[in-house]
Amino acid sequence: MAVPSIALPGQLLGSADKYFPGPGTHIHESSIYASIAGPVLTSPTPKTTSTTTKPSPLLSIQRPDTSTDPGILGTGSGGGGTILPEVNSVVLALITRLGPRFATCEILVINDVVCRESFQGQIRREDIRATEKDKIKMEESFRVGDLVRGTVISLGDQSNYYVSTSENEFGVVVARSEEGRLMFPVSWKEFRDPVTGRAEARKAAKPF
Amino acid sequence: MATNMDRRRNNAPSGGTHAPVFARTLREPEYLQTLRPTRARGQNELRRIYLQTGIVPSASGSAYLEIPSSTSISSSTLIKPASSLKIVASIQGPKPLPRSAPFSPSLLLTTTVKFAPFATRQRRGYIRDSTERDLGVHLETALRGVIIGERWPKSGVEVVLTILEGDEDGWWGDAHASGSGWGLLNVLAGCITVASAAITDAGIDCVDMVCGGVAALVRNPDSKDGKDLIKILDPCPVEHRDIVAACAVGYLASRDEVTEIWMKGDVGSDPDALIEGATHASVGSLSVVKEVLLESLQAKFQKQIENSQGAQKRKAEDVEMTG
Repeated sequence: MAVPSIALPGQLLGSADKYFPGPGTHIHESSIYASIAGPVLTSPTPKTTSTTTKPSPLLSIQRPDTSTDPGILGTGSGGGGTILPEVNSVVLALITRLGPRFATCEILVINDVVCRESFQGQIRREDIRATEKDKIKMEESFRVGDLVRGTVISLGDQSNYYVSTSENEFGVVVARSEEGRLMFPVSWKEFRDPVTGRAEARKAAKPF
Repeated sequence: MATNMDRRRNNAPSGGTHAPVFARTLREPEYLQTLRPTRARGQNELRRIYLQTGIVPSASGSAYLEIPSSTSISSSTLIKPASSLKIVASIQGPKPLPRSAPFSPSLLLTTTVKFAPFATRQRRGYIRDSTERDLGVHLETALRGVIIGERWPKSGVEVVLTILEGDEDGWWGDAHASGSGWGLLNVLAGCITVASAAITDAGIDCVDMVCGGVAALVRNPDSKDGKDLIKILDPCPVEHRDIVAACAVGYLASRDEVTEIWMKGDVGSDPDALIEGATHASVGSLSVVKEVLLESLQAKFQKQIENSQGAQKRKAEDVEMTG
């Protein structure tokens, strides 16, 4: 059976032993059905551990691009941007509060997609960096208003997603000095003000 | 009524939303009956449906449904010939739950159904009354069965429906036609259909598209003793003087499942026939929903495809700088 090019929820896409269900699909009575409306994509399954048989192609349904501008009263209005943080997704977050044990942040961007609404996140002190965890000091890592790149390590409790910055690429990307000027990173733990030259301690993200 | 008053607004006088027709001004009593609309379509024929998705820019998904009245407005009377149904649905979310809410591993669904104050013959208040809450609960059960909530942990979605014009319970010419509640079944079926289209527009995972349909048992006006009943799909309560029973369902066509049933009246010995009729009606409205969604999908993804093709072309046109 040929896979349809465009699908609506509840539409049969193919048998579950010929394809793998991807995002936007679900399995019902050993067949794959669409669960959102959109074009159907067939992509080869990424090599997983020890598959002896030839891997089946992955069936998924594309979500509309969020970058297309939401025209007023057009068919392109609405939709998009409704994604949730998942474990391992890379997020950009704004530090809103510093506590002695954790920093509270607002997740604004998930995997390069700007969210419709921000999600509340938490960076625990021991998740800030990977080494010398016992010597981490909150105020030497983040300040309120810093923009942080991190990865989601857990969906967390009722209100918070847990974010970690314990890799080299993760940490503060945009920081302002006490005078309010944008600073530039000089090392993994230091930002510097361009005018006064004063250094401030941050857990800096490794620039690409 | 007094408890249901809105103190923050200037309330319009309660009562009708249309010019009153005084029985005394009519020339003869039979004249009124000649104005009564009759069903012109077949027993299994639905009214025409207008549907459009993506009409509320700020919502993540939205749809507008209209079932216009088929009878034309006559100039000789102020009595409205037949009511039409107009519903707007908008989806807010999925968005993170408020801070006070407890942990939820799946999507929390909230449905709000509200009649506009001018939606029915009797003016509605601004605060939701028991009928509207009841419709909301019915709609929620219909939608709960299709949404795959586990895909959206720790988030909530709000389905907000505004009924701009509701199907009437009876003809405006009949003095005591309102209050029977036959029109509510049509309203519920319309709500289910339009909410389902809006949810699909919002991109929330569903196992199928749920659609509403109504079937009714009416007394055959042509029969002599008036005892034999006929089953009709999509009844317009204005056009039938005697509705005996009616049933609205929320039906998943490709799975052949029913998520919601609302039955009213004296069904008799065979309720299954009425339910089956309602599912047939919902399949009819499903075909409209499918067409509309495919059309909007094509428009949505056309731009995206063009963009990606344009980007590739631009890349190909780039010339590498050489020293």
